[in-house]
Amino acid sequence: MIYMSTDKWECEQSQEGELVNGLPSVVVAAHELKSPLTLVRQLSLMLEEGSASAEEQKRMLRQISLTTEKALRLTCDLTYSARLSDSLFKLEPINPKQLCEDVIREMTPLFRAHNRQFKLVSTRKPLLLVGNRDLLRRIIMNLSDNALNYTENGERVEIKIETCAAGQFVRLGVRDYGPALPKDTLKMLNKKLEGASSTPVHARPQSSGLGLYIVSQFADAMNGSVGITRHRDGATFYVDLQSSKQLSLL
Amino acid sequence: MNQPTVLIVEDDEWLAEQFARALKKENYHTAVSLHALSAIEMVDKVHPDAIILDVLLTGSTAFTLMHELQTYDDTSRIPIIICSNLASELTIENLKPYGVKRILDKASMRPSDLIAAVKSVLL
Repeated sequence: MIYMSTDKWECEQSQEGELVNGLPSVVVAAHELKSPLTLVRQLSLMLEEGSASAEEQKRMLRQISLTTEKALRLTCDLTYSARLSDSLFKLEPINPKQLCEDVIREMTPLFRAHNRQFKLVSTRKPLLLVGNRDLLRRIIMNLSDNALNYTENGERVEIKIETCAAGQFVRLGVRDYGPALPKDTLKMLNKKLEGASSTPVHARPQSSGLGLYIVSQFADAMNGSVGITRHRDGATFYVDLQSSKQLSLL
Repeated sequence: MNQPTVLIVEDDEWLAEQFARALKKENYHTAVSLHALSAIEMVDKVHPDAIILDVLLTGSTAFTLMHELQTYDDTSRIPIIICSNLASELTIENLKPYGVKRILDKASMRPSDLIAAVKSVLL
């Protein structure tokens, strides 16, 4: 049942969002998949009617394929999430710049279709980090998806690579230029992320928080951590991973 | 004769675009707001004849917007059509005091249902 008060709604939502045996509940996963499926259905029904112009049809088909890709990414993430406890993910030295460039290349069509820019801000030769390539790629894609939803039309999303704590770890941050996060939301999010919360955490009421929960779980599997920095004009969601002792040769 | 203007408040940009597409086909004027705060500004700007409103929005929920609209005599009379994935958990009786005239389930509705709902609230 939905209540009139936002607080009550969030309270009820978090109860439904409890983890089952350490995994996101079916309710949370279903909620997250409902939005892209709803959009794909509406676009398909419109296309079936056959009244759209050729140009419109092309745009709608593009939206269908990009939305489907996004939903498929989520289903893959859920599978990985379920396997985390009984699988070993190989940790290796990774060039963060190369990995982020790959993510940007892969996601640029989605950003372009939404009229957002997507770029990398990095030092010329960042340190290598220790992580699992696939998990890290999924983290950055989730954070980028989140930033895309939060960024105004025509604005940009940036991936930033920094070396922190005198080279002990490497920080990969995804910066959005949207509305500032309310201070209490930021406090709640950071607290939940630091404390390995048993409930998915969300920055927006319409989100189940599954994306951030998955990010935090994947980071944990690589001995990393996630966090959020609030800006006057947006936020940076980041993951910190240990730097590799191996020299950066790439 | 001026065609009615429908304000679409929906934070999924492409779904909002799709609703606008369906309404424009029936010659309605449309305006889109992606969150409740900008919707309040948009109401002042375009004076919509009806509002299509999602429940869970970025920043604040539809209830914040509906409370605000109920505060003023002119905006309290704008008919609201709730269009949400949570439709099964809402009842028209509970939402009538907020100016809600119809509730549509995003997951099962067809584009023609949206048009029919708009037509019915503008009668």
